[in-house]
Amino acid sequence: MVRLITHNMLTCHVRNCTKDNFPLVFSDVELVVREAPENLDFIRRFLPKLDWAALVDTARSLGDESLPGTQPEEFTDEQLRALHHVLMEMHVEEGKMTCRGCGHIYHISNGIPNMLLAEHEVGR
Amino acid sequence: MPLYALRVSLSHLSFRIPELLSISQLFGFEIKFVSSDKFRSVLVVELEKDEHVERILDRGMMVMSAIKLYASGGSYEELHADLRAHKEYLEPHMDQSWKITFESINHNVTEKRQRETIDTFEWTGLRGPIRLKNPEVEFVIYEDYTFLTEGTHDRDFRLRRDGNFDRVYFGSRIGFGRARPLLNTHSVKTRAYYGNTSMDAEMGFIMTSQTLAAPGKIIYDPFVGTGSLLYAAAHWGAYVIGSDIDGRQIRGKAKGKETVPGVFRAAEQYGVSNQFLDCLVYDVTQSPLRRGGWIDAIITDPPYGVRAGAKRTGKGKSHKKPLLEEPHLLPDGTYSHTREDYVPPFRPYELTNLMLDLILLARYLLVPKGRLVFFLPTVTEEYEAIDIPVVEGMRELKVGEGSVENFGKWGRRLITMEKTATDDGPPPTFEDHPDYADFEKSQERAPGHYQFRDRYFESFKPRVGKVADEVREESEASSASQGPA
Ligand SMILES: C[S@@+](CC[C@H](N)C(=O)[O-])C[C@H]1O[C@@H](n2cnc3c(N)ncnc32)[C@H](O)[C@@H]1O
Ligand SMILES: [Zn+2]
Repeated sequence: MVRLITHNMLTCHVRNCTKDNFPLVFSDVELVVREAPENLDFIRRFLPKLDWAALVDTARSLGDESLPGTQPEEFTDEQLRALHHVLMEMHVEEGKMTCRGCGHIYHISNGIPNMLLAEHEVGR
Repeated sequence: MPLYALRVSLSHLSFRIPELLSISQLFGFEIKFVSSDKFRSVLVVELEKDEHVERILDRGMMVMSAIKLYASGGSYEELHADLRAHKEYLEPHMDQSWKITFESINHNVTEKRQRETIDTFEWTGLRGPIRLKNPEVEFVIYEDYTFLTEGTHDRDFRLRRDGNFDRVYFGSRIGFGRARPLLNTHSVKTRAYYGNTSMDAEMGFIMTSQTLAAPGKIIYDPFVGTGSLLYAAAHWGAYVIGSDIDGRQIRGKAKGKETVPGVFRAAEQYGVSNQFLDCLVYDVTQSPLRRGGWIDAIITDPPYGVRAGAKRTGKGKSHKKPLLEEPHLLPDGTYSHTREDYVPPFRPYELTNLMLDLILLARYLLVPKGRLVFFLPTVTEEYEAIDIPVVEGMRELKVGEGSVENFGKWGRRLITMEKTATDDGPPPTFEDHPDYADFEKSQERAPGHYQFRDRYFESFKPRVGKVADEVREESEASSASQGPA
C-alpha cells in the first residue's frame, strides 16, 4: 500500500488547484510487490471507474510496461491479469506523491499516505 | 414452503430482523417471519429450501442453531397432534439412524423429564437404529421459556416453572451457527491492535451484515480509527478502504521505518491483508477522492465527540475564523507545513453538519443501490424521525421502530440507507449548513443528536434551543474520561 487502484482515485485537492492535479506523480519510491488472489470479475467491473491514461503513465513511471497505451475495447484474460497485477499487487510503501499543478507533496510512510492539507491550502 | 425454527440470541433484539433480511437480500432468497412474537429465543421462518437456512447459519451473527420444523404447540398434546397430522415429514427419516436431542431454552429441565419426554415420541415408529454419535438424522426438541432475570435461582420457583414453556418445537437439525464463533476469534481483547474507539466484534459484524459485504465489493469507512468496522467486511471477502483525520489512530504508537501500522497488523492476524486496499490520512471534509460512484458500501461510526472528537481542518471554537492565505515562513527559511510533524489547525465539526455531510457523501461515492450504514447517537427521549436528514437520492431502510442500542439516557441507532439515485451527482461541498447554525438562536426543537457531546457531559438535562459556550467549556474542564466506547 499505496496500491495503484487507490492512487488512481486520488487527486490533489488543494484550494484552487484544478489544473494538472491528477494523477499525482510518484518519486523516491520504495515499491513492494505482493501477490494477491485474482478476482477478474472485480477488475472487469471496476474498469469503467479507472482513468486509463493516468494508470498507464503511473505504472510505467514505476517500471511496469505491461499495459497498452490505449485502453482495449475488449480485454483478454491475460490483459485482465496484467491489470490485476498493476492495480492490486504493486504497493508503494515509502515515497512522495507530487501534484504537477501546485507542487504539493503528499508523503507516504509505512504504506500510509498523508493527505491532510496545510492551513493555507484548505477551501474556505 | 418449509418452515425452520432458528435458535437466536436475545442480545441486540432490534437488530435481529434487519440482519436476517440483509442475509436474504445478499443471497437473493425470500424469507417470511412466521412467529407472532419475533423477539423470543426461537424464531420460526419460512424459506424455500435448506440451502437458504445454510446461508443464515453461515452469516447470522445472532443465530445459534436451526432445525427444519415438523411440529409445534403450546403443549405436548398440541405438538403430537400437529406431528400426527404431518407424518409425511417423518417419511424420509423412517429408516435412518437417529437420536433425539432435548434443548430447553432459558430454563433447565432434569434429565429424568428429558428422557420421559423423548419416550413420548415412541408412537412415531421410527425403524432405524438409535445412534447417539453421528446419526443420520438428529431430531431436536426446543422448549422455549420466557427469559427471566429474577427468581430463577429459587429451586421451588424453578420446579413450578418446569413445563410452563411458551411453546415447544420439534424438527430435524440443519446445523449450528457458523458466524457466531467469530465473536471469539475477532474479539477486541485478543486483537493485535485496537483503541478506546474500537467497536466490539459482535456489533462490528452486525453492522457489516447491513452492508451486504461480499467478495468483489468495495467498502469504505471514512472515520476508520483503529479499523474495527473493516475486519468483518474483509472477513466476508470485501475489499476495504479506510481514512481518518488522525493518522495515529491507524498507525498506533510504534514509529519508524519498518513498523507495520496497527490496522494492518490486525488485518494480518485475521488473514485479510489482501482485502485491505488502503488506509489514508485526510479530513473527510477535504477529501482527495477523484470521483464518485465506485464504493459499494460505506460503514462508519462517526465521531460523537464524546471520546474521539469530531473535528475538521480550520480555526475557531464556535465560529469559523479566517485562515492563513499564504504558507507560514519559519525563521530558518523553511515553510511550517513542509515539516514532517506539521499538523493543520482543527475546529469542531458539529454532529448535525457531519450527519448531513455523511449522507451527501454517500449519495456521491456509492454505486446505485449501494448502502450507507452508520450509528446515529441520540438523546433517547427526544428522538424523532426528522433526526435523519432527508437527502434526494438516498432512502432509509427501516424495519419497525429501527435498530437501537440503549445505554439509558442516551442511545445510538443503526441507520441503514440505500442509494436510490442512479447518477453520481456533484461532490458535497462540506460547507457549514446554515439551518443547523440557527438552532442555537431559535427556540425550535433541535435534532436529538444536536450538540450531542455537550448534552452527554450535562447528563442530558432537558433543554430548549439555546446552548452557551460556557457550558461546553465548563463540562470539558470537569468531565472525567468516562464515556461510551
Ligand atoms: C468514533 S471514532 C471511529 C472509531 C473506529 N470505528 C475504530 O474502529 O476505532 C471516530 C474517528 O473519526 C475521526 N475523525 C474525526 N473527525 C474527522 C474528520 N473530519 N475526518 C476524518 N476523520 C475524522 C477520529 O480521529 C476518530 O478516529
Ligand atoms: Zn495541487
